[in-house]
Amino acid sequence: MRTALVVLLLAAPSLALGVTATAQQPVAGRLAGRVPAGVVAAVSALGDSAAARGLPVDPLVDKAIEGGAKAAPPERIVAAVQAVFARLGRAQVALQAATPGVPAADAVEAGAFALSAGLEDANVQELARICVAPCSAAEALRVAGTLTALGVPAPEAVELVRQTLRSGGKERDLLALPGRVEAELAGGATPAQAAAGLARAAAARAAAHGQSGAPPHGPPTSRRP
Amino acid sequence: MTTVLHPLVKRFLDGELRLADLPPELHAEARAAERLLGAVDRAPVTLPAALEARVMAEVRQRVIAPSARRWWHRLAEPWEIRLRLRPWILGPALAAAAVLVLILARSQPPVPPVAVAAAPESVYVRFVLYAPGAHRVSVAGTFNQWDATTAPLAPAGAAGVWATTVALPVGQHQYAFLVDGRRWVNDPAAPMVDDGFGRRNSVVAVTAGAAGARAL
Repeated sequence: MRTALVVLLLAAPSLALGVTATAQQPVAGRLAGRVPAGVVAAVSALGDSAAARGLPVDPLVDKAIEGGAKAAPPERIVAAVQAVFARLGRAQVALQAATPGVPAADAVEAGAFALSAGLEDANVQELARICVAPCSAAEALRVAGTLTALGVPAPEAVELVRQTLRSGGKERDLLALPGRVEAELAGGATPAQAAAGLARAAAARAAAHGQSGAPPHGPPTSRRP
Repeated sequence: MTTVLHPLVKRFLDGELRLADLPPELHAEARAAERLLGAVDRAPVTLPAALEARVMAEVRQRVIAPSARRWWHRLAEPWEIRLRLRPWILGPALAAAAVLVLILARSQPPVPPVAVAAAPESVYVRFVLYAPGAHRVSVAGTFNQWDATTAPLAPAGAAGVWATTVALPVGQHQYAFLVDGRRWVNDPAAPMVDDGFGRRNSVVAVTAGAAGARAL
């Protein structure tokens, strides 16, 4: 008992200092000298709001630093950071609607990336719903976002991820999807055709394994002249 | 200034197609691209002459001085502390500690659970840009806090080809090339997303165990 009390009394000040230092992880310090003072204040306020809502703060700081490096006007930097903040919030809402509990920070960040790449909130929600353990929602969202960045329409991107998972695809199969789409593009397919063709192939594999994945609808893959 | 290779030429470079499989009009482009890549691969990796001196200076700085070592031993050796407590003080002390913990807990905003990798694995990623006429090229992105001074590209054998190799932590990164310190250029071989500043960023994903970056 005596030992426990001594430990508690000695540890309490350290605990207090440590917790305070972590909470004040200085957004302003990271931005000092990289962006104008007005931007530092605005991003610090957004960082506080993000932390209070359980959103990751690093993407906000990264975007501000990027704006400073690219010599963007202060109002443009703040607008870009606000846009990231908004996308993080949308991603968090979509993820919470899909699965119970507090979504992981990396999933929220990946969801925000997917939204920036062109996916809709409903797509993020759907991807989180179809991605059950051991599938990583963050990975599925990043892959779908990258497919969209390659030009694949959002519905086809989601469908391709869905069919890949239904056919028993593992994380490495998900990660390979953008490369496989690029290979199809090199062969002359449009992004939509490439994704639809790969989704049909995955659905066929799922059917062969007795899974319940219905083949997606859509025109057969054809090559551009 | 960048050049986008024809998709069939890319497949030729990847070894998926033979030269004879390409349409005749692409033969010249394929040979030129092959020459450029050959030159890049042959470019020797040379370290700056001052690197060793800088490393050794850093090591010497970190050696603990004798006086510091004595202090360290005083701190590290066990001390004998005798503490005599009267039983009646335990109650108030515990109550004060509990109040302190409650105050600290209430004053902090909720922190979401964050997945932290124990030791982020890094993968060497080679960045290559064809920028004829450029005097300086660097790559900046989320992996180096958009600091264009940390990853300069060097001329890589053939005229106009710039390259560098950077160790990137596993994860997804956005980046762009900075040409001559004023012009941001995308990687034509990578997916792109809006950067929020009227331009676009290239995207690269580094996966664990990969021999290099995968264009995720």
